[in-house]
Amino acid sequence: MPVLQEYVAALTQPMLGGGATRYDEVVGPDGLLRPPWKRLAAVVAGIGAEELQRIDDQIVRFLSDDGVTYSRPGERPTAWRLDPVPLVVDAVSWREVEVGLAQRAELLNAVLVDLYGERTLLRDGVVPAAAVLSHPGFVRVMAYGSRDDPRPLVVSATDLGRDAEGTWRVLGDRAQAPSGLGYALENRKVLSRVLPELYREADLHRVSPYLWAFRSALLQSAHGELPDPRVVVLTPGTHSETAYDQAALATNLGFPLVQGSDLTVRDGWVLLKSLGRLERVDVILRRVDAAWCDPLELRGDSQLGVAGLAEAVRRNRVRVVNGLGAGVLENPALLAYAPAICEHLLGESLRLPTVPTWWCGDPDALAHVLDHLDELSVRALDSVPSPVLDTRPEVLTRRILAAPHLYVAQERLPLSQAPTWSDGRTAGLATPRPVSVRAFTVRYGSSYRTLLGGLGNVLDVAGSNRVVASKDVWVLKSGAGEPDQGLAEVLPVSSGRSLPATVPRVLEDMFWVGRYAERAEDLLRLVLAAHVVVEDYRSRPRTGGGLSLQIVMGLLARIAGRHPQAGDGDHDYDAEFRSLLLDVDRTGSVAQSVEALRDALSGVRDQWSADVWRIFGVVDRARATMAEDPGSHQAAESAGRMLTGVLSLAGVTANMIRDPGWHMISVGRYVERGQQLRHLLTALTERHGLDVDREVLAAVLAAAESSVTHRRRYRDHVRPAGVLDLLLKDPDNPRSLAFSLARAAEHLAAVPASTGSTRPERLLAALVTELEETDVARLVAIGGVDRPHLVTFLDSLGARLDRLAEAVADLHFATGPAPRRFGSLPILEEVP
Amino acid sequence: MRYRIEHRTTYTYDDDVTDSLGIAYLVPRRLPWQQVGHYRVEVTPAPADTARDEDYYGNELTYFQVVEPHRELVVVGTGDVEVATPTVDRGLLDRPWDGLLPLARPDLPGAWRATDLALPSASVPSHPGATEYAAESLLPGRPVGEAVGELMHRIHADFEYDGTATTVTSTVPEILAKRAGVCQDFAHFTLSCLRSHGLAARYVSGYLATEPAPGKERVVGADASHAWAAVWLGDDDWLALDPTNDQWQNDRYVTVAWGRDYGDVPPVKGVIFTEARHSRLEVSVDVAPA
Repeated sequence: MPVLQEYVAALTQPMLGGGATRYDEVVGPDGLLRPPWKRLAAVVAGIGAEELQRIDDQIVRFLSDDGVTYSRPGERPTAWRLDPVPLVVDAVSWREVEVGLAQRAELLNAVLVDLYGERTLLRDGVVPAAAVLSHPGFVRVMAYGSRDDPRPLVVSATDLGRDAEGTWRVLGDRAQAPSGLGYALENRKVLSRVLPELYREADLHRVSPYLWAFRSALLQSAHGELPDPRVVVLTPGTHSETAYDQAALATNLGFPLVQGSDLTVRDGWVLLKSLGRLERVDVILRRVDAAWCDPLELRGDSQLGVAGLAEAVRRNRVRVVNGLGAGVLENPALLAYAPAICEHLLGESLRLPTVPTWWCGDPDALAHVLDHLDELSVRALDSVPSPVLDTRPEVLTRRILAAPHLYVAQERLPLSQAPTWSDGRTAGLATPRPVSVRAFTVRYGSSYRTLLGGLGNVLDVAGSNRVVASKDVWVLKSGAGEPDQGLAEVLPVSSGRSLPATVPRVLEDMFWVGRYAERAEDLLRLVLAAHVVVEDYRSRPRTGGGLSLQIVMGLLARIAGRHPQAGDGDHDYDAEFRSLLLDVDRTGSVAQSVEALRDALSGVRDQWSADVWRIFGVVDRARATMAEDPGSHQAAESAGRMLTGVLSLAGVTANMIRDPGWHMISVGRYVERGQQLRHLLTALTERHGLDVDREVLAAVLAAAESSVTHRRRYRDHVRPAGVLDLLLKDPDNPRSLAFSLARAAEHLAAVPASTGSTRPERLLAALVTELEETDVARLVAIGGVDRPHLVTFLDSLGARLDRLAEAVADLHFATGPAPRRFGSLPILEEVP
Repeated sequence: MRYRIEHRTTYTYDDDVTDSLGIAYLVPRRLPWQQVGHYRVEVTPAPADTARDEDYYGNELTYFQVVEPHRELVVVGTGDVEVATPTVDRGLLDRPWDGLLPLARPDLPGAWRATDLALPSASVPSHPGATEYAAESLLPGRPVGEAVGELMHRIHADFEYDGTATTVTSTVPEILAKRAGVCQDFAHFTLSCLRSHGLAARYVSGYLATEPAPGKERVVGADASHAWAAVWLGDDDWLALDPTNDQWQNDRYVTVAWGRDYGDVPPVKGVIFTEARHSRLEVSVDVAPA
């Protein structure tokens, strides 16, 4: 039976315990489909449980290929979840939201003007002063008398939910750095791909024209009349909860993603540090919370901001969107006074009702809250975002009474429900789950415009408002002729300028992209080679085989440390392979290199085509398969697939513009290749008898991807001299040291700061000369049981490559020291 | 009294500082009892950018940025001030203190403005120890002048002035535990006492002119910056008290700036970009009768 039909049937069954207090987004009280779904009924009727599961699987894969993640504070990023069933809203129902949100944005703008200006709201007692001033969102350094900015609000987001009657209500406002638009865009992209017929049939508002409006709002927000203002997106970095959202928005808007350390203030202007020059920044779309934006005037311990930013803002020399004081609008206490504020500032009555809210600093409200504590959610004002307190009522009462002005209580609305697949898929059912919608508003010309769409949140049933998945929000058109987003004139979003790849941080990230990609690749090849030796030894246990196995596994241990649980006796090779491939916490493991690669790529996400995230789609799936199947063959199988994933980076870089960043990837790659080669060749420093040596050499050749070449050149005569010649000196073997150093030198020379005589170039040239003068015959010469000259050579090579990498970092990645407060240096003496 | 003031702050570093941004609160406020003559703030090396502004509390601040590499940064505030003893209407002091609480009585004239200074702040958190300490003096219905005066006497008697006891970053619990501190700590503790009972009180930063010991010459530069507190009496009226010296503010006190606590109005604060590992700070203040 089609999933939706089953959902309807289940809902219209007599309810156990009569729990039908929620408004259902799909089914009316009469048991019939609501109008927007009625229109889609024909298409939806064809979708059964199997089909929906297939769609759900596709969604998971698309999101993973695009690298869409979200992280809760302090946790590793997890996959973003999108429910396959969209939240569909018809034009009539959305109209009230649209008008209400346009008014709300004007209201929020007026509140900012007032609270950072005359403060009539406080003076006239419309809002109690303590309710506003107790909230950290009120930024006093933005409230100087000299400030003058009539249009401080450029963008805002509002969380909405429907109450039991189906009326949309405001749950809260997000104004300082609203997140979610990037996710909403991705949700739409994925859902339109996996539900093409439904998407076509629905005739909904496409999102892209809104991006154009958003982009032009940012450009127009610049102070003064600038022909071509520079806009950047300020991110706290890849460890932010919504790093993906920030990067996706930046990429979609065509504005570069920068971090605080990329910017500097001079003469009250904000400038972007680019090698050799400073470029003025006119607009900053910030995703850094205000407190962290300026170590001079706000939190002095912040490394995420720009010293002097607040002063630049006060002088109207840069536009920060939204302004540093906008966090005041996220104060939930304001919701309690919203109708009065609207009357006071706009002379209108408030259109969109808010969730009933009480500020406990008011004696009457306090009495009400204490009487109804079990029905209310209580939030503390003095932290941002104000968390819902999950404490026993006695404790809560005591806390509230100790400082009533610090608490706000809100009614727990029975939010509307919608069919959700992600939660019930194991049963093959769509189950009703409460939902809320984050709506986005942007200043458009002289008014505000709301996105016809949004980011839907599926909340868990326990009522803790924890978001368990997201939904795409489809706002249907009122008629066939209606333009998308109601915007008649639609200009394409130009790709714009991304961050010039000469910003030191970008070059550094690129260098590490090269290094980690190479490190992961080389270790995977070694794992595969080792796996062959293991399998061979398992089927034909011989003493010699045991020794070669030890040597090859020793190589792995040399690169990735010893397995934390490895015993001395009977090695569990499968466990070792699993650990090398899967253990993220093991230094030097494949998993760790892949994570580090992901991190480095995320730091410069706006430099990449979306294809780059497929690497991780492939690797993550191989990892998941391996986690499920403990079989021995699975290690080789998964390692092989991971290798395919990692190698696909080359396909992406092949299509990159040849800028300094591109060259830096190669510098990193070839330096790392030299290092890995050095580790690999230590296997040749000791002799163990002809049979063992031959097997070890074969593994080394395989790990260095040079078996075929070797065979062509030397037939089956595997000798140390031949192997060393091929891997060290052969200028035509792309895996050789000579080749790697030559390429590293070429790419290094192409980076702007290189002159031909810089320290990294000198170090590299000396290394090339030394290699040229090295005689392989001397290296293989025997002294006792080992090859002393080879040992010396490899040690020196390792040290020289390390020095080279340091020199590259010093010259090309240095951004100068981090900001420090006066007096934060150890003070030797204080006089008097 | 007329004074000629020079407040000199010198930072010395063991390596070049390539960029230094700072904010100085060195220019005294213009007040009914305080006239400020020509006043200058000079920074050496010469800043590439400098600006004057008035902050949220109406204090004058100086913003500067030095981009020339330097190993020594000198900030000097200098000028003339004429000060009288602030007068407070006797009637205001006789009103019960517990009728002057901005959060409980938001309807009082000016209460909305005073609210900011009745709330806890970064360096003046509400602290049960301070609440308890102050309760002995803040008895219900007691006239505000008498209650606050007694609190001031007690703090002066119970706490020891000790320049080595604290650093700039002492917290209220630390001050309370040690029962000792410098003027800043006395001020922060007093504020914590007053605010934890709902009174509005502000941190005042400035100078106290010292008199040489009998028969001794005045030593130039031996003065220091000083800090004290003021409690709200309703409307725009405040009563300033110096718990360090157990006295009400008089014509020897030069008011520079006020705010919620030290963090709002440090004489000089800033951010530097440098590889230097050590710095040396030298402060000299001279308040000379003129």
